[in-house]
Amino acid sequence: MSMNDRIKKAFDGIHAEAELVEKTESFLCQKTGNYGIASSAEVKVKPAKPIALNRYAKLISAAACLIFAMLGGYWLYFTPTVEISMDINPSIELGVNRFDRIISVSSYNDDGRELLDELDIKYLGYMDAVNQILENENMQALLYGEEDLVIGVFGADGEQSDEVLKSLEACTGGRGNIYCQRYQATASEINEAHRLGLSYGRYRAYMELKSLDPGIAPEEIRDMTMREIRDRIARLSGKEIPSAGGRRYRGGRGS
Amino acid sequence: MLHLKNHADTEDIFQTVFLKYVLSSVSFESEEHERAWFIRVTINSCRDLIRSFFRSHTVSLDEVMEQAAELPEDDREVLEAVLSLPQKYREVVYLHYYEGYTAPEISRLIDKNVNTVYTLLTRSRQLLRERLEGYEL
Repeated sequence: MSMNDRIKKAFDGIHAEAELVEKTESFLCQKTGNYGIASSAEVKVKPAKPIALNRYAKLISAAACLIFAMLGGYWLYFTPTVEISMDINPSIELGVNRFDRIISVSSYNDDGRELLDELDIKYLGYMDAVNQILENENMQALLYGEEDLVIGVFGADGEQSDEVLKSLEACTGGRGNIYCQRYQATASEINEAHRLGLSYGRYRAYMELKSLDPGIAPEEIRDMTMREIRDRIARLSGKEIPSAGGRRYRGGRGS
Repeated sequence: MLHLKNHADTEDIFQTVFLKYVLSSVSFESEEHERAWFIRVTINSCRDLIRSFFRSHTVSLDEVMEQAAELPEDDREVLEAVLSLPQKYREVVYLHYYEGYTAPEISRLIDKNVNTVYTLLTRSRQLLRERLEGYEL
C-alpha cells in the first residue's frame, strides 16, 4: 500500500465524538434562534442556513480530521510516555514526552513541593532536569547524609523507558545511595498510588512494607525517608540491611 | 477508530466553524467550493487556537492520544509520524494526501506561494520517509 493510501486510511479512522456533534448542534440552534425559525434576541442577522449536522457528515469528518492534523502535534507533545518518580524524602514525579522533554512535574509531600518550587525544570530534557534536581542543595545534603534516593522509571513506551533507565543509570552511577529501578506499572496501580497521595515509587515501597506490616498506613509512609522505609522492610523481612557507607549504588529492574 | 473528543478546544473550533458556516452569505458554486471554504475556515480557527494556546499554556489535551491506542498499529504509526511533523508540514500533508488537493490549490487555501507549498511537500515527504521506512511516497 502506498504512503498516500496509508495516510488516507489512517485519517479515515478519525471521527467526531457524538457528544461533540450534539453540543455543536445545540450551540448552533441557540445562536441562530433555531436557524431563524424561532424568534431570538441573538438573531440579528439574516436567517441562517438550516443545518442538521448529521446530514453534513462529510464536513464533520473533514473538520475532525483537520483539527486532529492541526492540533495533534501538540497532543503528542503534551502526552507523557514515560514517568520518572524520585523519592528520598522529597517525593516527586516527572512526566516525560516522546521527545524526552519534561512536560509535567508533581510533588507528593511537603518536601517535594519545596524542592519543585526552587527549580524550573518544565520543558527541559529529562537528563538536564534530573541533574538539576540532584545538584539541588537540599538533595545534596540528603545524599551525603546517607539517605537513599530511589529513582523509578515506568510508562507506556517500554523502549523509551528502557532508554531513560539506561541514561539515568549512567548519570547516577557512582554518585552514592542512588537506586535506579524500572517498574512495570499498570494504570490502576498508578491511579491508586496517586489516590493515596504517594508517588508511584513510594507506593511500591509502601506495598512491599505493607506485605510485612499490614498495619502501616499511607500517611505514615508519606513523610518517611526512603532509607527509613527500606530499613524497616529489611528488618521485618530479615534481609540484610544494605551498607549505609555512602558510596553504594545498585541499578536494576523492578518486577 | 479514533473519536475526536469533546474537549473545550475542539468544541470551540467546531462551534466557531459551523456557526460561520450557517451564517455565511457565500453562495457555494459546488460541493468542492463549499468544502474548500470549510477547510480554510477550519485551518484559520486552528491557527487562532494554537496562538492562544501558547499565550495561555492551560489547555490539557492528553486524553485524545490515549484513544489512539485503539487504532490499528499501522494507522497509529502513520498518524504519529504525521503528527510529529512541524505544523506547516502537517497542514500540507493533510491537504495533499488526504484531501487530494494539488500544490496550486493548497497555495490558495493556506495563502502561501505555490513554490513554498512544493517545498513544504517535498520536505514533508522526506521526513515521512525517514519516520516510516519501507513505504512508497
